[in-house]
Amino acid sequence: MKHLKPVLLIVILSSNIFFTGCSPFVDNNEIEEIAPVTFWSINPGAGGKLEISTLGPPLVKEHKRLLSLKVDLLKQGGKDFNLKYYRELKSGQLRMVLINEELAKKGIMPIINTLLTDPDISQRLYLVIVKGNFDEYIKNQVKSQPNLDYFLYRMLRHYEKKKQGEMSIINLHQFKKLLYSPFSDPILPVFKAQQTNFIYHGTAIFKDDYLKGIAHGVDDQIFQLVNNDYYLKFLPIPKYSVVLGNIRSKVHKKMNENDSKLSIRIDVNGRIEEYRGAKDIQNSIELEKFNKEIETYLEKQTLDLFKNLQQLQADPFKIGTLTLGPISKPMSEKEWLKHWKTLKVNVDYNIKIHPLTSVHE
Amino acid sequence: MAPFSLFNKTSDINGFYAMLIVNRLQILYFILILPMYLVHPYMILGIVIIGIFSQINLILFSKWFTSNFSGQGYSAFVQLFGERKFRFFVLFGLIPMLLKIIVLTLNYVEAIHQFIFPSMNMLWLVLAILLISFYVSSKGMENTIHFVVIAFLFSFWVILCFIPFFFPPFASLSDLYPLIPTSWSMNSWKSLLFLWSSFSGPEYLICISPWFKRGQTIFKYLTYGNLVSVVEFLISFISSLLFFGSNYLSKTNYPIVTMARYLQSPIIERIDMILLSLHMFHFVFIISFLILSFYGGIRIVFKRVHKQTTRIGFLACCAVIFTSIAVVNQWFWEPGIKDNLWLSLEIWSSSVTFLLVPALLLAAIKLKGRSLE
Repeated sequence: MKHLKPVLLIVILSSNIFFTGCSPFVDNNEIEEIAPVTFWSINPGAGGKLEISTLGPPLVKEHKRLLSLKVDLLKQGGKDFNLKYYRELKSGQLRMVLINEELAKKGIMPIINTLLTDPDISQRLYLVIVKGNFDEYIKNQVKSQPNLDYFLYRMLRHYEKKKQGEMSIINLHQFKKLLYSPFSDPILPVFKAQQTNFIYHGTAIFKDDYLKGIAHGVDDQIFQLVNNDYYLKFLPIPKYSVVLGNIRSKVHKKMNENDSKLSIRIDVNGRIEEYRGAKDIQNSIELEKFNKEIETYLEKQTLDLFKNLQQLQADPFKIGTLTLGPISKPMSEKEWLKHWKTLKVNVDYNIKIHPLTSVHE
Repeated sequence: MAPFSLFNKTSDINGFYAMLIVNRLQILYFILILPMYLVHPYMILGIVIIGIFSQINLILFSKWFTSNFSGQGYSAFVQLFGERKFRFFVLFGLIPMLLKIIVLTLNYVEAIHQFIFPSMNMLWLVLAILLISFYVSSKGMENTIHFVVIAFLFSFWVILCFIPFFFPPFASLSDLYPLIPTSWSMNSWKSLLFLWSSFSGPEYLICISPWFKRGQTIFKYLTYGNLVSVVEFLISFISSLLFFGSNYLSKTNYPIVTMARYLQSPIIERIDMILLSLHMFHFVFIISFLILSFYGGIRIVFKRVHKQTTRIGFLACCAVIFTSIAVVNQWFWEPGIKDNLWLSLEIWSSSVTFLLVPALLLAAIKLKGRSLE
C-alpha cells in the first residue's frame, strides 16, 4: 500500500502526456503496414536523374511487383515510394545495393555517403556493380522465383562467409575503408544481368569512387589469389587445357629501399583436377615442364594486370601500404600515385602441383 | 514522514570502490568520441604518456588521503582554508561541476538521439535520464557510491566486444603506422589536452573522502583504477584505428558506436542500441554522483552544512540542473560540431580542476603543517 500513491501518480501523469498527443515517438512500425526494403537497384536516368527500384513487398505472401521511380536524390526515392505504394517502406533491412555500371563510372561517393550515414542501414550492406539491365531481369524472373531478392542475398553471403575465392564480395564498410585510405583503392564485384540470368562477371576496379575497369576471367582469378581470399576452388586455364583445384596462395610482397621496385613472390599450392591436353603428365620431367609453363603464363598475366592497374593509377592491392614504416614519415597520396605509376614490378610464381595420379621417372 | 537524509554515513566504504569510481569517472563519455579526437596512430604513445602523468598526479592526490584531514570532511577543509575562503572555493567548484553535468548529459543524449531515437525531441531524453539520476541520488550518497558496482558491471565488458577487430581480416599492421610523430601541429597539442581531460575525474573523490575507511592505503586502488582506464583507452583507440584506418577515422562521428554497429549476432541486429543503452548505467551513476556533490556544495555555500537535508532543497537543486540543461539545449547547443564550444569548455575546465585540486590540497596541507610547528 505504501507504494500505491506514487505509482498511481506516475500512471496518471504518463497517460496524461501520451493520450493528449504529446507522445515522443513518431515511428510507426506495425508489421502489417510496412514493407522492409531488402535491396535498391540504382540506374542512371535521363537528365542526371537516378532511377531506383526495389521489389515489394518482401517475404510476405502477397503478389510481388517491381517498384521503380525516377528521382533526383536517393532518399527522395524512399519518400516518393511511400506516396505511391500502400505500405510504408523501411530501410532497416536493406541488405544489398546494386549500382549500374554506367552510374559507377560517374562516381558513387554521394550514394555511398547517404547509405553510410543512415544509422538504420547496416554497415554490412553488400555493394554490387551491375552490367546490363537488372530491372529487366527481375521483372522476368519474379513470376517464376518470387523470393529472388532473398536468394541473391544468400548467394552473396555464402561466398563472403568462408572466403572461398569465387567472387570478390565487399560490403559497405570495407569499401569505405579502402576508399578513404590514401594507399588503397576499392574494388567491388560485378554481375552481368541478362534476360534470364544473373552472372558473376569479375572484379570492378575503382580509382577513388570512379569505376575505371573490370578484371574479368583470369585477371579476376589472379585478384583472388593475390589479394582477396588467397584461395581458389578451381582455376581453369583453357590455354593449357587444365583445371587446377584447391589452390592456396601465399603472397610475399617486398618493396626495395627507395621504393622504386616491387617484387612479388606468390607461392601456389594446388592439385590438377582435370587435364585434357596432349602432354604425358604422368612423366615427372614432362610434369616439371608443364609446371614451368603454367608459372610463366601466370607471371605474364599478373604482370599485365599490374601494368594495367598502374596505367589506371588504381591500387586495389594496397601496394602503397608497403611504403609505410613504424618510424618513417608516410608519403602523401599524390607522391605515392606518382611513384605507383612508374614503379617497376617483378612477379615470381612458385607453383607446386600435386598430380592426383602416380608419376613415373 | 521519515527524515530525508542524503549524506549520512552508516558504514565505511572499501578502497575497492575508489578504484571503480576513479575508473568510471575517467572513462565516462569521452570513450565514445576519444578516437576521433586522437586520429593519428602515434597518439597510442600519447595515451601511455598522459596515463603516466595522470598517475603522478594521483600520487600527489593520495597524499591528501593519507593525511589526517581527509577523514573529517567539511571541518577539515574549514581548518585548512578558513570558512570564508573555503566557501569561495566551493562556489568556484560548482561551476565545473554543473558544466560537467550539462555537457555529459547533452552529449550522451545526442548520441542516443542520433542512433536510437532520431525523431524524438532531445528534451524528453534529457528528462528521462535525469529522472533516473534524481531517483538514484535521492537514495543518498552511500547508496550512490554502492551503485558504482552495478554501473561497472554493466559497462566495463563492452570494450571486450571490440577484441575481434584486432585480428584479420580487419586488422593490418600498416594501419598503425607511423608509431612516432613525424609532424607536430596545434591539433596534436589539442589531442593531448583532450587526453588529459579524459583522465580527469578522480579529483571528485574529495567530495566523498569522509566515507573511506581510515588508515587504508587508497593509493593502490587509485593506481589500479588509472591503469584500467589506460588499458580501456588503448583498446578502444587501437581497435578503432584498425577498423577505420587513420584517415577515415577523422571523418567519423561516434566511432565506437559505429564499430558496435558492425558487430553481428544471430539474435539481434542492432547491437549498438543495446550497448549504448547499457552505457546509461554508467551515466546515471556519474550524474547522480555529481548531483549529490552539487547539492552538497550548494549547502556549503549557503551555510547550511550542519542542518538536516531537506526534500525541498534537493528538488530545487534538481530543478536548477534540469533548467540549465534545457536552456543550454534550447539556445546554446550546436549539435554535431566536432569543435563544439561546450565540449572545449568542458575539456579545459576538467583539465584545470584535475591539475589544480591535488596540488592545491597538498600545498594547503604543507602550509598548515608549517604554521602548526
